[in-house]
Amino acid sequence: MRTKGFEKHYFIMLMPGLIWLILFSVVPMFGIVIAFQDYHPVRGIFGSEWVGLEHFIYMFTLNETKSIFLNTIFIAVMKIIGHLIIPLLFALMLNEVRVALFKRTVQTVVYLPHFLSWVILGGILLDIFAYRGPINQLLQWFGVEPILFFGRADLFPYLVVASDVWKEFGFNTIIYLAALTGIHPSLYEAAAMDGASRLRRLWHITLPGVRTTAVLLAVLSLGNVLNAGFDQIFNLYNPLVYSTGDIIDTWVYRAGLLNLQYELATAVGLLKSVVGFILISLSYYLAYRLTNYRIF
Amino acid sequence: MVRDATMGSKTADVVLIVVLSAITVTCILPIWYTLVLSLSSQSAAAAGKVWLWPVGFNVNAYMEIINDSQFFRSFFISVQRVVLAALFNFLAVVMMAYPLSKSPKQFRSRNVFMWILVFIMLFNGGLIPLYLTVKAYGLINSVWALVFVGGAQIIVFYVILTVNFFRNLPKELEEAALVDGAGPWYVLLKLYIPLAVPVLATVTLFCIVYHWNDFFFGLIFMTREQYYPLQTYIQQLVVAVDPSRMTEDQYKRLSELSNRTLDAAKIFVAMIPVLIVYPFLQRFFIHGITLGSVKE
Amino acid sequence: MNRRGIVLIALLVVVAIWVAACGSGKEDETSSPVAETKGKSEDGKTVSTAEADPFGRYEETVKISLSQEVDPTDQLAPGQTPEDNQYTQHVLKELNIEVEYAWTASPSNYDQRLSLAIASNDLPDAMVVGPVQLRQLVQSGQIADLTEVYEQYASDTLKTIIDSTGGMALESATFDGRLMAIPSVKTQEDGIHLMWIRKDWLDALGLEPPRTIDDVERVARAFVENNMGETGKTIGLAGPDSNGKMYAHFLESANNLYGFDPIFSAFGAYPGYWLEGEDGEPVYGSILPEVKEALAKLREWYAAGLIDPEMGVRNDSGESVVAGETGIFFAPWWMGYGPLANAIRENPEANWQAYALPLDANGEFRPHMSTPTVEYVVVREGYEHPEAAIKLLNLLVRDESKFDIDAIGIGYYPLRIVFAPSDEMSVTAQALRDVLSGAKKPEDFYPLVDQGYKLLANDVDNIHKVKLEPYDRMDIEYWDPQADMSVWTRAYSTLVGVGPILDTPMEGVYSLLYSQTNTMEKRWANLKTMEDETFLRIVMGAAPLDDFDTFVEDWLDQGGAQITEEVKEAIRK
Repeated sequence: MRTKGFEKHYFIMLMPGLIWLILFSVVPMFGIVIAFQDYHPVRGIFGSEWVGLEHFIYMFTLNETKSIFLNTIFIAVMKIIGHLIIPLLFALMLNEVRVALFKRTVQTVVYLPHFLSWVILGGILLDIFAYRGPINQLLQWFGVEPILFFGRADLFPYLVVASDVWKEFGFNTIIYLAALTGIHPSLYEAAAMDGASRLRRLWHITLPGVRTTAVLLAVLSLGNVLNAGFDQIFNLYNPLVYSTGDIIDTWVYRAGLLNLQYELATAVGLLKSVVGFILISLSYYLAYRLTNYRIF
Repeated sequence: MVRDATMGSKTADVVLIVVLSAITVTCILPIWYTLVLSLSSQSAAAAGKVWLWPVGFNVNAYMEIINDSQFFRSFFISVQRVVLAALFNFLAVVMMAYPLSKSPKQFRSRNVFMWILVFIMLFNGGLIPLYLTVKAYGLINSVWALVFVGGAQIIVFYVILTVNFFRNLPKELEEAALVDGAGPWYVLLKLYIPLAVPVLATVTLFCIVYHWNDFFFGLIFMTREQYYPLQTYIQQLVVAVDPSRMTEDQYKRLSELSNRTLDAAKIFVAMIPVLIVYPFLQRFFIHGITLGSVKE
Repeated sequence: MNRRGIVLIALLVVVAIWVAACGSGKEDETSSPVAETKGKSEDGKTVSTAEADPFGRYEETVKISLSQEVDPTDQLAPGQTPEDNQYTQHVLKELNIEVEYAWTASPSNYDQRLSLAIASNDLPDAMVVGPVQLRQLVQSGQIADLTEVYEQYASDTLKTIIDSTGGMALESATFDGRLMAIPSVKTQEDGIHLMWIRKDWLDALGLEPPRTIDDVERVARAFVENNMGETGKTIGLAGPDSNGKMYAHFLESANNLYGFDPIFSAFGAYPGYWLEGEDGEPVYGSILPEVKEALAKLREWYAAGLIDPEMGVRNDSGESVVAGETGIFFAPWWMGYGPLANAIRENPEANWQAYALPLDANGEFRPHMSTPTVEYVVVREGYEHPEAAIKLLNLLVRDESKFDIDAIGIGYYPLRIVFAPSDEMSVTAQALRDVLSGAKKPEDFYPLVDQGYKLLANDVDNIHKVKLEPYDRMDIEYWDPQADMSVWTRAYSTLVGVGPILDTPMEGVYSLLYSQTNTMEKRWANLKTMEDETFLRIVMGAAPLDDFDTFVEDWLDQGGAQITEEVKEAIRK
């Protein structure tokens, strides 16, 4: 086939997107050098004095640096696990329901929260979990003392994870449901004929049917280990929970914009990018090894 | 299927439906709560007396929104942004994904480009260089800043998704077309795009949701309220203010004007477009996301 | 050839523009002093009609670009917009200055937008900044030296007000002997935090206003145990909300609502302030043992349910004051402007009274005192008309009381910062008392208006509208808020809120420093976060009390010691 001459066209096709990215991602990337400078607004990026690794050294002496990285990883990993398991469970349950109308309704409703911004959901959640909000009123009914949910550093990461999983599970359920519909009905029929119980069928037919999907999703999400969700935490946190809830992105935002520590913020951001890049490469490799699939 | 009609199975069905219903209800509740709040009287809302049913039912908040020209201006800006973003996003993604879905044999630089894109996705120079760049392009206060900067954040992710979908399309179709003497543009336009409707709808939906929900760039690139997109407009309403730098008259105005009912109504109206759009697109993206990320 | 040609032309254009710019710059430099001394006005752009006239009208319209805080919930009268309103029109008419807005932002986003402007050196011609940004701007040479312009152009009233602080205001804006900004001046009473308490609850329980720390505890407990809020959620003592702080500190030393400032003072603790240590050297108040004692007490109260369990998380502590759930809170004098107006709307019998209490071990009330300046007007380096900014302020001080502020808040006046004589509220409160007791007539106070007491004439004229007899009793039943809510707001705040300050002899504690030093620029934000977090966690029982000691060590290690040295240096100067 005469595909040789096509490469020229391929380049042309790539051009619009590349130009877009160069203009709006690559050009601003020169700002990374701020991390190695004593940045001076008037002299700008090109005229500021170089200080080498000073900001990185300071960064590693700060207690906060360690804790924001740990917080980020903890929250992100929990989210990854939640996003894998909960939708799977939900899809399995939904798959067992045989009332078609009910199934469709549930499916449509549960991914509604996915479409709402954290600006909006954050406000709503804080209300519902307020000290005298409905959740606490419910707890009091059972004789439990009211809990200051979003003020408890020990609870905060879990609340963040739970609310994020809640927001997204419906959406992820779709993926599993599709994999489940891919399992041929004849397999179930054969099993039923053999007298396999509902649970056994689940174990021997359904689960193996979605295994590849689950593994692939797990690996794909590895690249997200340093993304714990800026929008969400930004709209939910307060100084009381900084110790466990402050993540790299929120910290960089506060340091860089509110506290005028541009250099430090850029340095931390750069470290995050580097680690993120390593992790993505790792997941690329893992996905290839485990499922023989190149993710990009 | 006869054996399913046992008692145990029926109980299981009932439990299943109850559990699923309960989970489903939690997904509607926040939206319901916002609606209820927006329809309640101001004093009841401020005193936290409102839960599942409006207290002091009235539609004053909605009447006020109708008279709020800024709300509609921001609404229109958001619509404009979403439409433009979806259009450009679509073009760029399709054109980039096609060549990148070729194997390295067909397109030798493919892997190089792919890794460049991943690099671009993960690294950024921080906010200040981004601001300076956009300013240098003369896009401050322009909806194009939101379209392009927002797009540059997400486009690579969409390309990866679409590439995966393209790669899984049956090879035979393309080969047949090539044998008939078709060029790459023809293949993309006449073969790939029609076949990729699900994934392209998904990506477009992602893009719409992202651009509709983003508040941050509006804050950074717009110098005044009249240029704000809707979520930015709402964000500045719901965020609380530090009183230490206020003078007493400012504080007084602020406390008199704080209006949870009105805020809730605005939040609710801001949700409406998303609520309207998503049932239309869901049929597509269920297929899209499944096929795009996972192909057994 | 072609490309080279274009480059060459481009280069030529650039050079030409540059030369032209330099040329005109020089012209300005040479012509303006001449013009000023001769009062000529050939070059209308740079010269005012009369030389150094504080209110001189420009012959040709002068443009000034500014930044402006715009509250999105503000309701403006028809025809008034944040960018075109009675103030901008007045300024154009009186001074021929045309105001343009480089950007506007809501109060919660203003600082962020400002930081962005500073970091990207994309500044408007003049703007309002806080002390931290001021320092940053001075360091990077982004703003103009105003020493001469201030001398020449500031009106006498403006200078009088600024000098009423005994040099404190000017000093805070002076760097290396040069005045880099025009400081705002707040009434000193803003920095004194009082105890506001539901006197009707006290009366119902037969209690007296608490005088000591132990009394506060007893009263708060009585409020909670007797369920005075009647909803089952009585809050004995309010705490800071999520945007609030437990105590005012040297960088934000006034107007701390719902903090614990008087509790700390009663322990002789002044966290967040730079104090003179026993050895005469400066020491940071937050690391002293008295603070630990105060924290221990607060922690005890919080655990006992006397303090708002939602402190630090609540969106607005004022809401529970309005809802009638709170018994005590600490705040400055102006609470009529704060939650109290809504509180008495909800419950007309809510008798909120203020006291200069609790007292310390020696029976004294020793509040920490604020700096009079919280905001500054700065002018971008290179702006041709720095005096225009000062003229705007002159006009503000002269005409502030003449505007209709109900149509559009005074905050929309271009470059508005507060200028009030530092004893404004004490003078006002005394005046109201004198008028009520009949010792003086309202007319006696009219002349003071020209000395910067802008609202005094209104105050004394209107007091009888809302104050009922007997005039010396301040309980809510002797007021008629419905007669005129806005008069009540101010009069109640003044008589109830400032009264105790007049009646209580007090020796305030000042911070040795109200601005940042070099190392603070880099390190302070992190140290402060650590401090806030530790203290909040200690009080709320999320961390053991002894974390305080770890905090002190960490604080000194992570830059605190170095900063203390710098403060020592700064004070020696």
